[in-house]
Amino acid sequence: MDRQLLTYLTNHAAILVFHLDSRGLIVGANSRARKLTGLDPVGKDFREVLVDFSGSFTLDDALADEKPRLLNFITSGGLPQTYTVRFTPADDGILAIGELDQDEIEDLRKSMLRLNNEMANLTRELQKKNIELNKLNELKNHFLGMAAHDLRSPLSIVETYSDFLTEELSSQLGEEHLNFLTIIKSTSSFMRGLIDNLLDISMIESGKLDLDRSVQDPCMLIRKNIGLNAVLAARKQIAIALDVRNAIPELSLDADRIIQVMNNLISNAVKFSPQGGAVAVTISHEGGRVTVSVSDNGPGIPREEQRKLFQPFGRTSVKAAGGEKSTGLGLLIARKIINAHGGEMSLESEPGRGSVFSFSLPVRHNEHAGGTQ
Amino acid sequence: MIPGETYEKFLSRLLSGDRAACVSITDALLKQGADVREIYVDLFQKSLYRVGELWENNRISVSVEHMATSIIESLFTLVYPVIFSAEHTGKKAVVSCVANEFHQVGGKMVADIFELNGWDGYFLGANVPREEMLRFIDEKKPDVLGLSLSIYSQMKTLIDVMESVRSVFPRLDMIIGGQAFRWGGRELVARISGTTYIESLEVLEKMIKGNTR
Repeated sequence: MDRQLLTYLTNHAAILVFHLDSRGLIVGANSRARKLTGLDPVGKDFREVLVDFSGSFTLDDALADEKPRLLNFITSGGLPQTYTVRFTPADDGILAIGELDQDEIEDLRKSMLRLNNEMANLTRELQKKNIELNKLNELKNHFLGMAAHDLRSPLSIVETYSDFLTEELSSQLGEEHLNFLTIIKSTSSFMRGLIDNLLDISMIESGKLDLDRSVQDPCMLIRKNIGLNAVLAARKQIAIALDVRNAIPELSLDADRIIQVMNNLISNAVKFSPQGGAVAVTISHEGGRVTVSVSDNGPGIPREEQRKLFQPFGRTSVKAAGGEKSTGLGLLIARKIINAHGGEMSLESEPGRGSVFSFSLPVRHNEHAGGTQ
Repeated sequence: MIPGETYEKFLSRLLSGDRAACVSITDALLKQGADVREIYVDLFQKSLYRVGELWENNRISVSVEHMATSIIESLFTLVYPVIFSAEHTGKKAVVSCVANEFHQVGGKMVADIFELNGWDGYFLGANVPREEMLRFIDEKKPDVLGLSLSIYSQMKTLIDVMESVRSVFPRLDMIIGGQAFRWGGRELVARISGTTYIESLEVLEKMIKGNTR
């Protein structure tokens, strides 16, 4: 019976049994020891199946003080596993018998359960907060849209009448009063631009930017845009050059929105260029994409500030050459419009060497045609 | 109603630890427009009860039971966008497990049903010490306290906690439920005033709707 019990324990109990010779070479191992280490340990030095970086374990010490040792074994799964090992002299060598610490396993199980519970509860709270934040964001966009819409109409009236008065009364008013009217007009124009941008942002953030696509010649849109900015450029004696690099295909796009993007890039280039500077617009077709680049010889933008440009109200330390105002929303809107067309926008700039803003649109427009974002 | 075939497939994947398959089944049901209550009751709760039975009958180990519970708990995140989107009524419920009660899924489902009906359903978690629970109740001043118990051997702890709550908050309504009550104990909790035993999530929802109106 003793022998049967011994055989059972050796083969089935959750213990490791290594039979070592007097030099510490493994001459036998039970099935669990072989399974754990994932190798045939017979013939190896016992220390070879251990992860003992410090080299502090010696068989002689373990036999001398007869105290159990915490030893880490190499395992087939890669993660070392710790066993409490007792060393006992036997008739034909040494028996090394390893056991797992059941109390430690139970502690670990409880810890895992507790951590899992905590993580699940934190995830619940996090998701609840996220949904609340989304609701607040929607509310903010709704409010923004309503407020901007309600402000736009009276402001347009101020702008129109100040324009009317400037034209009608220019011969009757003194220089100071005419100047007042000019300030009213330019300020109301700026405010209307800001409100238009806020409406755009509100629409984009709410996912309601609907593209009214049609097939368009991008070169024609650029020429139209250069014309729109000609007065502004002429005031600063800036020449806007157009370079059409190769044959440009027609694209399916929302003409008004792309004109808005081009206008933003070209008017920015003019604003940030010095008196008598140069702005160049190039358009090319390559690799299934049409790319439009607008370059200026303005002051350039430090690399660490470039990301700010595409964030809401993100302004850099660079000032417009003529002190022109900016809402800080234009480039963000421009990038969202380009993204909605399935395109990308980029910037290359270096202080003292000007800036190049580019956007590229896919030629296989039908993939995106009619898209809504 | 969740089709029986879907439930059987879900349970089989759950017991084999196939989280991805369970996510896929739940996700498909949501996309097909299944009501989150049905997913909670006919899929999650039914599976959890079955897992509990298998464990009680020594058909699966405690590790498999914990794994299955963890998988289901992780699936809650799929339905949270619906659960937490209800219009808020301004009412609050605090739901908790008592000290040494580590089975929290049932309690969390109760808190979620409150959320689904526009209440703020605060869930304190498993193994919550009495003092911490009392402090939280004092801070949030809920309309209802829910206590969940899964293991019958913790019944005395539950009763002690309920008595403490009653002495500190004499008017606070308490609802009690959980798998522990299959083995008895309803008469014990009934002795404490202002206490209602809730036998299922459906009964809970009816109670909430009655209370809200």
